[in-house]
Amino acid sequence: MKSKFYASENYWNRELSWLLFNKRVLNEARDKQNLLFERLKFLSITASNLDEFFMVRVASLKDMVNAEYTKKDIAGFTPKQQLEKLNVATHELVNLQYSTYNRSLYPLLMQHGLQLITRHEELTVEQAEYVDKYFEESVYPVLTPMAVDSSRPFPLIRNKSLNIGALVSNRKKEKKELEFATVQVPSVLSRVIEIPSKEGLKSIILLEEIIERNIGKLFLNYDIVCTYPFRIMRNADLSIEEDEAEDLLKEIEKQIKKRQWGQVIRLEVESGIDKRLLKILQEELAVEKEDIYHIDGPLDLTVLMKIYGLEGFEQYRVEKHIPQPVPEIAEGDNIFEKIQKQDIFMHHPYQTFTPVVDFIRQAAKDSEVLAIKQTLYRVSGNSPIIAALAQAAENGKQVTVLVELKARFDEENNIVWARKLEKAGCHVIYGLVGLKTHSKITLVVRKEEDGIRRYVHLGTGNYNDATAKLYTDVGLFTCKESFGEDATAVFNMLSGYSEPLSWNKLAVAPLWLKDKFLYWIEREKNHALNREPARIIAKMNSLCDKDIIAALYEASEAGVQIDLIVRGICCLKVGIEGISENIRVRSIVGQFLEHSRIFYFENGGKSEIYCGSADWMPRNLERRVEILFPIEEEELKKKAFHILEGELRDTMKASIMLADGTYEKVDRRGKESYSSQDAFVMEAKEDAKKSKEGMNKRVFVPAQHME
Amino acid sequence: MKTKFFAAIDVGSYELSCKIFQFSPKTGMKEIDSVIYRLDLGSESFANKKISKEKVDELCNVLNSFKTVMNTYKVEEYKAYGTSAIREMENKMILLDHIQQRTGIRVEEISNSEQRFLNYKAIASKGEEFNRIIEKGTAILDIGGGSIQISLFENNSLIATQNMKLGVLRLEESIKHLASNNINFESLLEEMINTQLSVFKKLYLKDREIENIIVVDDYVSFLMQKYEKEGKGTAHLSYDRFHKYVNEAKTCGTFEMARRFGISEENATRTFISSVIIRRCMKVMGAGQVWSPGVVLCDGIGFEFGQKNGLIKEEHDFEQDILACALNLSKRYLGNKKRSETLENIALTIFDAMKKVHGLGKRERLLLSLATLLHDCGKYISMSNLGECSYNIILYTEIIGVSHVEREIVANVVKYNHLKFGYYGIVEQSSKLDKQAYLTIAKLTAILKLANGLDRSHKQKFKDIKISLKDHDLIISVNTNEDITLEKGMLENRSDFFEEVFSIRPVIKQRKTV
Repeated sequence: MKSKFYASENYWNRELSWLLFNKRVLNEARDKQNLLFERLKFLSITASNLDEFFMVRVASLKDMVNAEYTKKDIAGFTPKQQLEKLNVATHELVNLQYSTYNRSLYPLLMQHGLQLITRHEELTVEQAEYVDKYFEESVYPVLTPMAVDSSRPFPLIRNKSLNIGALVSNRKKEKKELEFATVQVPSVLSRVIEIPSKEGLKSIILLEEIIERNIGKLFLNYDIVCTYPFRIMRNADLSIEEDEAEDLLKEIEKQIKKRQWGQVIRLEVESGIDKRLLKILQEELAVEKEDIYHIDGPLDLTVLMKIYGLEGFEQYRVEKHIPQPVPEIAEGDNIFEKIQKQDIFMHHPYQTFTPVVDFIRQAAKDSEVLAIKQTLYRVSGNSPIIAALAQAAENGKQVTVLVELKARFDEENNIVWARKLEKAGCHVIYGLVGLKTHSKITLVVRKEEDGIRRYVHLGTGNYNDATAKLYTDVGLFTCKESFGEDATAVFNMLSGYSEPLSWNKLAVAPLWLKDKFLYWIEREKNHALNREPARIIAKMNSLCDKDIIAALYEASEAGVQIDLIVRGICCLKVGIEGISENIRVRSIVGQFLEHSRIFYFENGGKSEIYCGSADWMPRNLERRVEILFPIEEEELKKKAFHILEGELRDTMKASIMLADGTYEKVDRRGKESYSSQDAFVMEAKEDAKKSKEGMNKRVFVPAQHME
Repeated sequence: MKTKFFAAIDVGSYELSCKIFQFSPKTGMKEIDSVIYRLDLGSESFANKKISKEKVDELCNVLNSFKTVMNTYKVEEYKAYGTSAIREMENKMILLDHIQQRTGIRVEEISNSEQRFLNYKAIASKGEEFNRIIEKGTAILDIGGGSIQISLFENNSLIATQNMKLGVLRLEESIKHLASNNINFESLLEEMINTQLSVFKKLYLKDREIENIIVVDDYVSFLMQKYEKEGKGTAHLSYDRFHKYVNEAKTCGTFEMARRFGISEENATRTFISSVIIRRCMKVMGAGQVWSPGVVLCDGIGFEFGQKNGLIKEEHDFEQDILACALNLSKRYLGNKKRSETLENIALTIFDAMKKVHGLGKRERLLLSLATLLHDCGKYISMSNLGECSYNIILYTEIIGVSHVEREIVANVVKYNHLKFGYYGIVEQSSKLDKQAYLTIAKLTAILKLANGLDRSHKQKFKDIKISLKDHDLIISVNTNEDITLEKGMLENRSDFFEEVFSIRPVIKQRKTV
């Protein structure tokens, strides 16, 4: 029986599933119902997503192939087979990106008053003068042109940088021989430059066009034969030998410096590139033919984010949502008193993240607070939380901070903060060997009149006030003893002490979490077999753990109704006869990045609901410290369930997975138009308004003498 | 009363632990933090009687990190005890001083019986539930690395306690090489345990009915707490279910067991040994239930602190346990209960009257009681060598809750009751007693000698006495119509030592009721 649920034909490959996710984001760029500039933003996101995907996933597959590793993945493919399939799919995706750009967005921009000059030959005389002057004053001083000949080796091309390659010939030499020259498009300058234009029109040009136009000034004794932009991507996945690294911190610092010198795994060139130039690049960079992408348009579409931010096009962007006040906590309230009154559930970014920052700020100053403990994963630049923690330490509080250095791409950032905190007198823990700490938890210990009271914040998102405006996450404030004891145990465990005998409320990965999930899923299965109410609704970012999926299949076969809201990767297949007919998968891609993880189990009528930091991925359940926490108060459970309910109702931004693995937008015929994200925005506004009105009602009205 | 914080530290043989307790009028005693760090001091200490520098460094680092935990709550007081690994070190004095220099934490050595008593106190701190369990015949089975301790309860108090060298690690060590498979392993284990348990049964159990076993260990308790606990209380299992678990564990082997219960394979073996010990005890005693209160030494340390500082209500009378144990011991050596009680009564009356003179406290009063209860146990062996024999019996019989030093005091007091007093510095050098203990012995001996003289005829003539201090005389007024010439004569004889110690002369006044 077991083999049926585990058979690899019943699973999708995770990388291909990820590409489908990126395609759903791309669909938002293609969706005419979205405002033009929003569409630019979505297209830009697909580009930066793809970059990261290459640097981490493709790179690691390449490593595996190089190491002749042949273990098959969840869907039964070897790394080599996966790379082959990915190659086809990625090229298709890139083609779709550029056809979207060329056929829809580019012409539309012109229609909406933004002229993007892609060829410098199109500049007017006046514009050309402006551009040349700009080049001489601002660009030229920061350029480092490099020519290659027998005495000068091929230069280092930096990862992800945009470059202009040229074929040149030396005027002085008698024998006309083509030489290679290159110059990096400087990243210190904005890639989008506004230039003078006609009334009612805004004109912009990309920096590389300006450089191409003036490239002759860089190679004075040469004739320029041709110039084309190119861009490379290198293998950037960090693999740190933890047992050997004496000081993790130093090791990571070293790794970051090394990162630029990785193997080239992608080369992007402008289509129509001179064959001789391409051949030099291909040989010198040692890049495989299938890893070369011929791009029909500007390289690196992340530049569209810059265009998105241009002034003067407000009407083509969605009005920025201002996170609303949390009704339970008014501005200036003592948060500890409020938490004593009741548990508080928050839904960001609909509701503001400020109470979480204030929680730490107030704790830093509160005379009764003895200690603050927090896990920090990715913090924003100038994080107010870091500042508050440092202040707390200076105020004599015991501050323990777990800074996770293994957060992908953020190491440089994290090290800076870690040092800063240490200087302020905080006790900084640099993660656990072999485990990434992904949990988001804060503990404030207060000595109150009748003893110690512990205040806990648990969340699904990082303590990052910047992303909290864009990512949908939930958080819980509580001072219940059972949570407080568990929180203390979590930090003791992170400090290197033995794990506790048992947990009151929290489920913690890697030691306990997966078993719990499997137990809950099986419990639903048993309820279904006993003809009791059985249902699972689970919302997460990715689903690719084989044991969990097999358990879901088993539950589905037993009759459990299962709704999954999975934003990104989903290796589960729907609609397999006798296996997954009762499972539905949907993905929501909207204005905000869906990020919260919420799990609902009907449990024969005694429903349970959990939130946490973990996806149903092996890396979350086995190689990370994750926390899952129950929502217990009836009122709060309703709030959490409402989120799931709203997303299942979504007909605007939701895509449904079909049996063939593709996704399709909800068929809206006969259904109301409902966007869950928009609805949550409205609700947050109403709740905030109501509580404000409620406060105003407390104004005392003096009685007046009536004649 | 202000909220008070206390830290209990246990420097154990296989792990170091620290618990922070909060004492407040509203919540009573409450654990607010607990950290455990695995560090094997035992293997080195048991084998080499010393520990390596690396272990010392690690030990100090961990103790320093405990200080951080203590600082979190601004803990004012702490108590740190070292158990068998420390006990067995030759150079413990040097080591403990070194630890104090490096960490500021004073670790004290704790004797086996004190340690067991603290464990027992920790169990008793469970209050109501504990009291309910011990209404019926109950045994506490405290399983350590080197030995196990069985304590029996009858009518709400502790009556006997016995240490047996059947600790988990000791058993593992001794049969590891003999056993070829699990089944074989189990039967060897059973055999080893049985030889000792059957002796215990003959000596102590007789026709006692034991219904419950309360288990304190590092392995099975852990699993019972994890899987069998409902709510906040203790976890319990019936014999049949327990038996089933052990059989399952036997068949699935250590690897599968480790996986299933989320423990290390090494611990799986030890868990198995521990569970076989428990099952064997249940079988031998015919107990139907096993309870796990899930307490550890630190709980007992915390409880004791609360007790000493009047921060918690005592529901159980621990002194009564010690006396009940002594009484039971006396019974085993055919002591005369009635006579012991009279002697105790007289001795305590003298002790109380002399309070200002001897300056001894409640604890010494308890030791005096013990001495009276056990004053003639040696006659079981030899009536002519009563003193030496009693001394040896007391010295080698464990009384839970009484430290080794205290036991030695009692043994000496009983010895010198019968023999000429041996002065400090003249007595053999093997004794570890310090001056303070010696003075206690002298004072208690003087009192016991006097009391014994007053009841010389063993006819309990001095049942109704009043004693008071008047200038340099101790006036003993006795209400009796019997002839007390013998006692008066004996008194002359015995008063010399009393006077030597206290500079006070006992005087008897007889009041005859007409």
